[in-house]
Amino acid sequence: MKLKLTNFSLRFPWIIVLLVVLITGFSAWQFPKVKFDNDPENMLSPDEPIRIFHNQTKAKFALYDMVIAGVVNTNHPDGVFNMETLGRIDVLTKQLLSLRQNADGLPEITVPEPFTPDLRPASARKRFLAKIFRHDVNRLFDETGGSAIVKEEIISPPVVDNIKQAERGALKIEYLMEKPPATREEALTIRDDAMNNPLYKGTLVSEDEKAVALYIPIIAKTYSYNVANLVEKLTADWPAEDQVYITGQPVAQDTFGVEMLIQMASSAPLAGLVIFLLLLLFFRRVSLIIAPMLVAVITVLCTMGLLIGGGYDVHIMSSMIAIFLMPISVADSVHILSEFFDAYHRFRDKKEAVRHVTGHLFTPMLYTSLTTIAGFTSLIFTPIPPVQVFGAHVAIGVALAWILTMTFVPAYIILFVPQSMLDRIPAKKADHQRSGLDRMLEKTGEFSYNHWKLISVVSVLIVVVSVAGIQRIRVNDNPVKWFTKNHRIRIADDVLNRHFGGTYTAYLTLTPENEAGPVQPPAPLDKQVNKRWLDLAEAINYLEKSALASFSMFFQILEKIQPGSAEFFQPLEGLSGEDLREAALAICDQKTNRAAREKELADYTEAIAPPMKQPKMLRWIDQLQTHLAGLPKVGKTSSAVDALKKASYELNWQPLTTENNPPRPSGTPPQEGSSRQTLPAQKIPSVEGCPKGGVSLTMKEDNSTNQKFFSVPDSAAACGQVFMQLEGMKKKDSLFHLVTRDYREADIWVQLTSGDNTDMAGVTDEAKRFIAANPPPIPLRAEWAGLTYLNVVWQDKMVTGMLSSLGGSFIVVLIMMIVLFRSALLGLLAMIPLSVTILFIYGLLGWTGKDYDMPVAVLSSLTLGLSVDFAIHFLERARELQKTLGSWALAIQEMFKEPAMAISRNAITVSVGFLPLLFAPLAPYRTVGFFLAAIMMVSWLATIFILAALVTALQKRLFKKRRIRK
Amino acid sequence: MKKWIIAITALASIQVFALTVDEIVEKANQAAYYSGNDGQADVKMTITDAGGGERVREFRILRLNTGGGNQKFYVYFKEPADVRQQVFMVWKEVAQGKDDSRWLFMPALNLIKPIAPGDKRTSFVGSDFVYEDVSGRALWEDTHELTSETGTQYLIKNTPKNPGAVDFSEYTIAIDKDTFLPRKAEYFDKNGKLFRRVEAVKIETVQGHPTVTESRVDDLIRGGHTVNFFSDIQYDTGLKEMIFTERFLRRPPREATR
Repeated sequence: MKLKLTNFSLRFPWIIVLLVVLITGFSAWQFPKVKFDNDPENMLSPDEPIRIFHNQTKAKFALYDMVIAGVVNTNHPDGVFNMETLGRIDVLTKQLLSLRQNADGLPEITVPEPFTPDLRPASARKRFLAKIFRHDVNRLFDETGGSAIVKEEIISPPVVDNIKQAERGALKIEYLMEKPPATREEALTIRDDAMNNPLYKGTLVSEDEKAVALYIPIIAKTYSYNVANLVEKLTADWPAEDQVYITGQPVAQDTFGVEMLIQMASSAPLAGLVIFLLLLLFFRRVSLIIAPMLVAVITVLCTMGLLIGGGYDVHIMSSMIAIFLMPISVADSVHILSEFFDAYHRFRDKKEAVRHVTGHLFTPMLYTSLTTIAGFTSLIFTPIPPVQVFGAHVAIGVALAWILTMTFVPAYIILFVPQSMLDRIPAKKADHQRSGLDRMLEKTGEFSYNHWKLISVVSVLIVVVSVAGIQRIRVNDNPVKWFTKNHRIRIADDVLNRHFGGTYTAYLTLTPENEAGPVQPPAPLDKQVNKRWLDLAEAINYLEKSALASFSMFFQILEKIQPGSAEFFQPLEGLSGEDLREAALAICDQKTNRAAREKELADYTEAIAPPMKQPKMLRWIDQLQTHLAGLPKVGKTSSAVDALKKASYELNWQPLTTENNPPRPSGTPPQEGSSRQTLPAQKIPSVEGCPKGGVSLTMKEDNSTNQKFFSVPDSAAACGQVFMQLEGMKKKDSLFHLVTRDYREADIWVQLTSGDNTDMAGVTDEAKRFIAANPPPIPLRAEWAGLTYLNVVWQDKMVTGMLSSLGGSFIVVLIMMIVLFRSALLGLLAMIPLSVTILFIYGLLGWTGKDYDMPVAVLSSLTLGLSVDFAIHFLERARELQKTLGSWALAIQEMFKEPAMAISRNAITVSVGFLPLLFAPLAPYRTVGFFLAAIMMVSWLATIFILAALVTALQKRLFKKRRIRK
Repeated sequence: MKKWIIAITALASIQVFALTVDEIVEKANQAAYYSGNDGQADVKMTITDAGGGERVREFRILRLNTGGGNQKFYVYFKEPADVRQQVFMVWKEVAQGKDDSRWLFMPALNLIKPIAPGDKRTSFVGSDFVYEDVSGRALWEDTHELTSETGTQYLIKNTPKNPGAVDFSEYTIAIDKDTFLPRKAEYFDKNGKLFRRVEAVKIETVQGHPTVTESRVDDLIRGGHTVNFFSDIQYDTGLKEMIFTERFLRRPPREATR
């Protein structure tokens, strides 16, 4: 039964080879269909509530994913606010706005003259890779040829609103940089205007005045790499003092995706090469070691072909399939090879030797494969789609590797390994390298046998220390940290987060729970009741100036309009002109109860005002923002309240006046009969007199009368009227990124200087605490959206998902072990090395302070699958040897010859094979490389020391029991 | 001889009846913005965003022609409730080199604020209309070209003389031959792409003046649109110029509150 597969392939080796070639060819044929998915958002299923909510929020507030381009000038005394730099920013903005597709389908920029930028990578190697992966740098348009940049939403000085004072106390609404400055003064005016706007300070312009950031919204995240590349090319000829840094989560993610491909194309083959060299060192026979290499390559090709053919996108996770499958598939065939190599001289016949080797390796190899499959299959039960796809495919790959090992490797040996070469093997037994390892292993065996108590104690100590380390594990991830420290994305991230309020944005949405009850509008005015006085007031209002020249004339005219009413105005005798009119109108108003009526209407307005026009609500948001802004990782928060306060300040702003000349509405519109020349008479200080240098400075320079207007107005009507001005700004609808059009819902943009999930989680916790302690005046739901927050959600899901899948597969593997060895004790024993390994690895994580992130989480399943392999091989062989030799003392000596050698070769090959990953430019690959090596080494050591020691300690129970059973 | 007379008469009649492009745009400008000596109407403005959300504003607009093409506008808000009594006032000046004067009265802030002359292609109270749609664009700002003519309409292409000051590179207007009312204006961006459309959806004759009673503007970039319904339209009611002063901002005239 065990040999059926192998016997078949020994008899018909060509059929096997042909089959394998066909299947591999078919799989490779699927490759051109490959689609890549670099979006960590897809770590969550599309119907995940938080993703739906995130997308709803984006739609509701017209939020886009942004590419952030920071321009930093630390050389110029005025920072970026010098004519040249601002001029370049102006050109760049206009270039981005002008992007269009030309007749050849290529991007075209029309500023200053139409040209097609050369967007290809500078290095030939990158060009080559881009070609292989069909990465089109010119892909900057949607299907209809529209620009990938959402032009009307670009945030940059030439296209953001500026609300400020102009001549004669007028309000000016324009762009922050209507045209590039021609003088230093103009440049500094732009600086001051930006610094005076709470929405721009720390977002658009850095508070240190050294940097300006352009926020370039894109229609989909997949364009971000190309848009970033476009910006890089357009700024390539800028002088060195104007540094351009590009960041933003989409760029980081998209760049990661592109570099991941490059990484995939280089690191997996490199790992393969190193494994190959190591095998060569161990076996010295190229023709022999080609077999495991072929198994690895075929397994990877077929699995990837299956994935691509199955219509799955290659995600960050699945890009690692090759790297995971490589060691696993090599491991199987290395066992066969190692045994074959050592056993051949006993048979001197390829077929016999193969039969012997597969015969007694069949069961352990079946089980090692099954356990690995179990480990990865458990990932299907995590709630993260890419992880599910990854787990399923690795499991299939492992199964495939096992089948190949059982069929293809024997066929290969029969067909391609020359007999003559094998015959020379025993002569090589004295090989220095090998005997070195042999001797060392034999000593290890002796040590484990003699000092099992010491080993047990040390193991327990390691476990205790590890468990303590695990307590310290910090679950955290940050997609930007997937890049190594000196990567340009990391550098840009560092620089921009130092200058600005943070490039990591999350949105705190505020949704009031329920509508206020219906409010009765005030009864319509009964015009008949007050008709007489209302008519009179109208008449007085329309009186020509000449009619007010004197009281007597006024009196006569009134008598004529409405006989009998004039007497009520008798007390006004002596007044004339406008004073007379005002006083007369006041009397009419008193008679008609105008003030009460107005009050009634005003109260009604307050009662029906939507939540985000109500001062109490807006002030609460203001408090929440103040609280959030005080948190260490929050650089800046923005909301409609900031816009409102700024607009209220500018609308109410009065020129400074002396005590004797009380302030009066400036820029008064013409009085009756005035001509154009005598328009607003008040002398208003020119722009130079305007507040400068931010709010705090303003407070010193400006009088307190004006400063008090930098606040939420006192009534809903006032808020509504100021908001109406903000709705009519030059950049249309920019207010509605912060509040919905019906003013029922609002969002706060929270900028973090760190993308660490722990930092984001800290902010959400703190917000929750604040809201609980300071309930909002209108009950509301406060919910988070934004990529930075989404990362926290999928991370949480992954950690819990991975833990439960690890737990589940642990139990499955344990049951398998008990079935395999038909002994609960042996089964438990087999689990010990992997348990120690997992504890040790995670303990190490805790002690070194390395974050538990996505790659680490995935490794837990690998640990389980790989670590148990050594134990299976060890115990299976130990049991066999014990049976034949009759004593553990003798058996352990044999154990540490051939069987231990196979395990050791495997461990060394795989761990050394993955060391090249340590030089990868992407952190997850480094992590995987390091931990793969560490897992292999630790579980190897755990097997040869701890397992040997424990078997020694328990030998009586272990083997007696078996004998009784037999 | 008879033939000659016919030929000459025909030629003369062509010269009489074929209007120059400047005459067409002048007549259209008059028909669209200057009917009567004064005019007033209730406006119900519905702003619909790309997502289908609606905002409604109601106001009464008063207009007085003050001679030389200059006009005064008084816009009195009634809805939504929080902007009730808010007034926006414009003194429009068409002469080259002169700016309009604009004021805003915000009753809840008890504040009159002059608005500095600025970009007239800025959204009017958050709608898809811009100030220029409401008060008209001075003819001298563009060069006009009659590109085609159908049985019922003239098609005029307008190119701004100062392209840097506006958001379009050109716009076309279709003008009805019978009423000279502009029926459709289409704005093209610098890449030649249509991005904005203003239409006179419904026209009625009021006191002998063909009058737009429903107009619509579409923002083809963002996908929103705004529709204005005009009602209670009156011409030549003898509006007094004194209405367009500070006192009437604070105490609205009966024409506005009716």
